[in-house]
Amino acid sequence: MIIVNTQEHPWHEGMTVQVLLDEKGYIFRHIIVRVNGEYVAEEDWARRMIRDGDDVVVLHLTAGG
Amino acid sequence: MELERYRRNLPEISPAQQDVLAEKRVLIVGCGGLGGYIIEALARAGAGHLRLMDGDTFKESDLNRQLLASSMNLGRPKTLAARQRVLAVNSLVEVEESPYFLSVENAAEALAGCHLAIDALDNVPSRLLLAEACARAGLPMLHGAVGAWYGQAALLPPGSKLLERVYPAHCRGLESAEKMAMLAPVVMQVAALQASLALRFLLGDEQPAELLWHLDMERGSLEKISF
Repeated sequence: MIIVNTQEHPWHEGMTVQVLLDEKGYIFRHIIVRVNGEYVAEEDWARRMIRDGDDVVVLHLTAGG
Repeated sequence: MELERYRRNLPEISPAQQDVLAEKRVLIVGCGGLGGYIIEALARAGAGHLRLMDGDTFKESDLNRQLLASSMNLGRPKTLAARQRVLAVNSLVEVEESPYFLSVENAAEALAGCHLAIDALDNVPSRLLLAEACARAGLPMLHGAVGAWYGQAALLPPGSKLLERVYPAHCRGLESAEKMAMLAPVVMQVAALQASLALRFLLGDEQPAELLWHLDMERGSLEKISF
């Protein structure tokens, strides 16, 4: 099990950041990801592995007011 | 206090708290989408002193979401429309109009005497500038941002680095590089969240923290996350 934005989410072998985003259906063009507090750049999403127990935050990047 | 005007604030805001609220001074930077609704909520609730800062005028593309934008005031300063609106809904509120954009030169003066600064801005560099000014002044900053079906808010302690984490350096031209959709109901929700946090802070019921409220209307979620 991992935590995604304070909610539990099932973990499985081979889960990368990109796999997780696809599973959760995040499709927004501008997304910020942190795993255990560490920023993960978009170019690393496909190879950055998620481990069981990780704490992931996915934020839609907005700047309007 | 004006008992009848504020009767429906009871019992969540007691008469004694209402008097506390009347003594508070709040800087609202940006009087467009978020700012318009925040100003409306704080004025109606009875925040005593509102300092309204924005150098912009209303344009036609503001009409889809900004409370204070109307066909009558296109081309007029946003701070002027905001002041008139506040005085129309609650003449007990003292309004200071500052029809300028936030800058390095005017930030300290804008914050002087305030208990809280509210970020209702539309770009990242100005937000970071406001955060720096708040750090120097020892003031909390109430951040808010919105785009498409998403938004966020945070009541930040002075000196917080949360915004620097939320906006990595390569993303700081985001809003100017690509104009996102700005939808009225999402703007209203983020503004309502900010106004609620502002009131609770001014009343002593909420403390600044390194936490981000994240609204995702695509999934129908509102999360309070460490970031």
